[in-house]
Amino acid sequence: MASITQTVSARRQRFSPSSILRSVLGSQESVLLLALILLIVWVGSENRQFLATRNMVNVFAGNAYIAIAALGMTMVIITGNIDISVGSLMVTLSMLSGAISVYEGYPSWVSTDLTIALAWVLPVIVGALVGAIIGFIVTYLRIPAIVVTLGFLSILKGLLIIVSGGDRITGMPKGYALAQIRPLEDVSMPIFPAFFQTLTMPVFFMVILTILVALWMRYSPTGRALYAVGGNAEAARLSGISRHRVVMTAFILNGVFVGIAAVMNATQFSVIQVTLPPIELTIITATVVGGVSILGGTGTVVGAMLAAIFLNTITKALVFLDISPFWTRAIQGMLILITVLADLYRRHRQSA
Amino acid sequence: MQPPILELNHITKTFPGVTALDDVHFDIRPGEVHALLGENGAGKSTLIKVASGVYEPDSGEIIIGGQPVRFGSPRDAQAHGIATIYQELLLYPELSVAENIFMGHAPRTRLGAIDWATMRSRSLEILASLNIDDMDVTRKVGSLTVGNRQRVEIAKALSMNARVLIMDEPTAAITESDVERLFSIIELLKQRGVGIVYISHRLNEVFDIGDRVTVLRDGRYIATEPVDQMTEDKLVSMMVGRTIDNLFPKLDAQVGKVVLEVRNLTRKRVAHDVSFQLREGEIVGMAGLVGSGRSEIAQVIFGFTPAHAGSILVDGREVRITTPGQAMRYGIAYLPEDRGTQGLIRQMDLRANTSITVLRALSRATFINRQKETQLAHSTIQQLSIRAYGPQQLVGKLSGGNQQKVVVGKWLATRPRVLIVDEPTRGIDVGAKAEIHRLMSELAQQGMAILMISSEMPEILGMSDRILVMREGRLVAEFSRAEATQENIGLAMMGDIGNNGKSINSQLDGVEWQA
Amino acid sequence: MTAHETSQTRIAPAWTQQLRAVLRSQESVLLFITVIAVLILSTQTDKFLTVRNLLNQGRLMTEIGLIALPMTYIIVTGGIDLSVGSIAGLSAIMLGYGWYNLGLPLELAIVLALGIGALAGFANGLFIVLFRVPPLIMTLATLAFYRGLAEGIAQARSVRDYPEWFYALGQRETLGIPNQLYFLVIAAIITAIILSRTTFGRSLYAIGNNELAARFSGIPVRRNKLIIYTLSGFMSGFAGYVLVSRVSTTRSDMGSGWELDAIAAVVLGGTSIFGGSGSIVGTMIGLVLIQLLKNGLALTGVTGDATIVVIGSVLILSTLINSVIQRRVEGL
Repeated sequence: MASITQTVSARRQRFSPSSILRSVLGSQESVLLLALILLIVWVGSENRQFLATRNMVNVFAGNAYIAIAALGMTMVIITGNIDISVGSLMVTLSMLSGAISVYEGYPSWVSTDLTIALAWVLPVIVGALVGAIIGFIVTYLRIPAIVVTLGFLSILKGLLIIVSGGDRITGMPKGYALAQIRPLEDVSMPIFPAFFQTLTMPVFFMVILTILVALWMRYSPTGRALYAVGGNAEAARLSGISRHRVVMTAFILNGVFVGIAAVMNATQFSVIQVTLPPIELTIITATVVGGVSILGGTGTVVGAMLAAIFLNTITKALVFLDISPFWTRAIQGMLILITVLADLYRRHRQSA
Repeated sequence: MQPPILELNHITKTFPGVTALDDVHFDIRPGEVHALLGENGAGKSTLIKVASGVYEPDSGEIIIGGQPVRFGSPRDAQAHGIATIYQELLLYPELSVAENIFMGHAPRTRLGAIDWATMRSRSLEILASLNIDDMDVTRKVGSLTVGNRQRVEIAKALSMNARVLIMDEPTAAITESDVERLFSIIELLKQRGVGIVYISHRLNEVFDIGDRVTVLRDGRYIATEPVDQMTEDKLVSMMVGRTIDNLFPKLDAQVGKVVLEVRNLTRKRVAHDVSFQLREGEIVGMAGLVGSGRSEIAQVIFGFTPAHAGSILVDGREVRITTPGQAMRYGIAYLPEDRGTQGLIRQMDLRANTSITVLRALSRATFINRQKETQLAHSTIQQLSIRAYGPQQLVGKLSGGNQQKVVVGKWLATRPRVLIVDEPTRGIDVGAKAEIHRLMSELAQQGMAILMISSEMPEILGMSDRILVMREGRLVAEFSRAEATQENIGLAMMGDIGNNGKSINSQLDGVEWQA
Repeated sequence: MTAHETSQTRIAPAWTQQLRAVLRSQESVLLFITVIAVLILSTQTDKFLTVRNLLNQGRLMTEIGLIALPMTYIIVTGGIDLSVGSIAGLSAIMLGYGWYNLGLPLELAIVLALGIGALAGFANGLFIVLFRVPPLIMTLATLAFYRGLAEGIAQARSVRDYPEWFYALGQRETLGIPNQLYFLVIAAIITAIILSRTTFGRSLYAIGNNELAARFSGIPVRRNKLIIYTLSGFMSGFAGYVLVSRVSTTRSDMGSGWELDAIAAVVLGGTSIFGGSGSIVGTMIGLVLIQLLKNGLALTGVTGDATIVVIGSVLILSTLINSVIQRRVEGL
């Protein structure tokens, strides 16, 4: 009967040598992993200090909040949109988080723990709300995402300055510093014990959230719908997929992840600043270099996470290689360019 | 005879300003191939969009299995087993074959997650049932050939348990071997009781696989007949409303010297080693299936795409043409195949569209002389009898025939010596068609060399002094007006031998050249 | 017909009566709003309607204005240039670097800065035209790359103490009018005439509406696109030079956010973000309106940073209004 041969050939297809080779070399994710390992090894050989525990922890944990924000950006870009306001949003939400935690005017029944919990959770909700507004303008009012988020970038930045007056926030209560917790501190690890024990919370959030989102994007119909909408909007419509709902979901989730990243960022240090370098660019770079094509329809969050780590490694490596860190942005720009060109080239060859 | 799966009765559909369908009837029985014929604008695509739930009819009813139904959306139609395969395949290039087949209705595990393994195995099952066993369902659809992508579309339709499969011009863009495979798949589907609605301009296909044929004309229902009781002449006259001869007022013109010659012109993968000549005063028809390289060669001559080998000679001297601007300077004009997207700027008015090719001539030191521009528009309207209310009318609002006249007008303004027209009367009503043909004859009489690329056999036979036939990128035959018949042109187009004595490029080695 | 309306009709390319009326009405509406804004502001504070203040506003808006002109061309063709601010910053840095670090005569350093601007724009155009990189992505990447170059070259140092004559462009007047304003006005007039009356300008509208058909009609699409992106880079460089001359120093964050203001001015002025329509006159009105907003807010005590809230909202709102109008009229 046909079925037996089909099952056999199905399995054969999955494990054929050519398909394995193709998935190893052909995917951006594995190229990134390779590049990351090679980079660490190379810089480590140039300067042994690079491999010191504290620095390695910094390499992986320092950018974790960027990687978390990149999860949301991945979804937005896969649907064929973009969001360049995430930097302003993140700073705003960080400030919000800090402000909630230091606010003095709560009624007496509100305990410090509740305040801290609110300071962690509210920014995520507000982020989702802002994402919903942006999503609404993009889908129902049909304004291109670049214009909407360009506008929001400044609206948020301006509102922030008006409200905060440019002040910093200090004096957050004890227990607020979520990002400074070291979950594995008292756990004895078989390999690299010092490394794992020094790892801070953001890394764990990053890894766990990436895994969850990756699973969701692979196994949930809405997750796959993101790819459909970005890959061929007309076909998606005829498949019965509601483009409006899918894009709204992407922007809302983006807001959620920016909120989480903001909390990570806010709880990292003892001071929360209004000024932040334009990290939307770093986030977009991480996403694009991670294999999420800027034209939409393809890419994974795992790639974005790896790329975020990779970018951070480069930045940190510059110091150890005695190159001025002011060149970071130039390298970012170049990486975006190279990745985009490679992607365009691949599509050109594929369709020819 | 079994009762129909799907019936469309008294369907009327209007859009602002045009009645697309007027009391049209259509039905499809299980296991039959029912061809739907009509010129462009006859209402075929509107009818299938009504059938597939994209449009709702203004009046009339849709009946499935004896029960009237209403399709509020394409999903409704799909749920009732009606699937459509459009010309622009609606696939996701970055996703796998299996996922494309099951997008929107993927099999789930008990936990509600997408079941990839089942998706893959069921995809293979469906493909196997169509005798397709050479497709890797994990490959990205974007990397497949057009023929393979079409098969994915068919599998997609079957995955939704389609009982009616509507195919819109399925053979337009695929190779000849793909056409054979398509026909054998259609045969399998017939045996399984699937009803197939087959839209095509290729009458020979209708006779090859069709059981019944329905003809529409100008939105009206003309007739439905069994294919074996029809002849091509009868079909064409039903489609067109008159017999073939009246359509083509070809005037005799004096043929002069060679104006344009191409030698061994090659463009990788689309055209190989093409050589021919065009003389003043002659109309050379170029026949061939879609994908045979005709438009591609024309675009190379016009400088839109570069040649990879070979040469172009104007008046006997070799020239280098790498941009349309250069081609225009040598007196070559090209009316593109797709009027709407390539020939006109629909958001601009008649004046801007007619002047766009001759802006430099209308201006001094790059400043456009508006008066001259308007004058040109007026004279174009007059000379070509364009039905518009003035130069300020947006061309997007003109009818197909008038739009084509604007395109012709804008190129005539350049006073070309060589006019290449690509599907000059596609999608145009009969009256306008005749006008354009008359115009072409007059231009030839005035000494213009015309290369006419066409997929309409009557047009090729009626208008050409010589006929060149292209197949899979090569020029395989040439016929004079006297010796040309539908059969020998058709044969040359579809793949037997070109006629021996006059065949150009005798490298007919029978090697299947990959598209 | 008033003189204004006649000029509107001539500047807009050939459209139907309806569309012309709409376009006319958008720019007239804008003009109307501008007049209202002037009136309101002059009643709110007596510092506003002084010649001194108005001329000063003209001085301040020159930099964005210069950039908004080629930006109009680019958006009309359906593209966008997000890197203008970064190019301005890079040029500014190169000016300082060339003069201070490389020891070039200042005149040569200025030429170098302008040349770098043009080169940066040319690079944008090259990739967009030759490699078909979508303009959004290309200029997003160069936004980062050029800014990065500026930061890298500057190393957080700034260059000051230029000779007196250098400040003439940015800080002095001639016949009572700020020097840079002359440049802006002349540039505006030239670009307006080119866009509305020449074959080049017509080709931009054609490209924006249907690039493929434009190519098939023999229009040198690639060459023209290359020109406008190079022009954009050059103007950004020039704007950078004007800025340095005005604030007497060079810093690597110069020009940050200029893309927002420029695009807002263009879109507010009636140019569709999707391409195919628009005018320089509209852009200039939009520019003036935005500057008035900034000025008004500043004079009534609102800090400069907060005005960007308004600009951002203006951008979104005007795009929305534009696209609604366009969709209603087009319906093709």
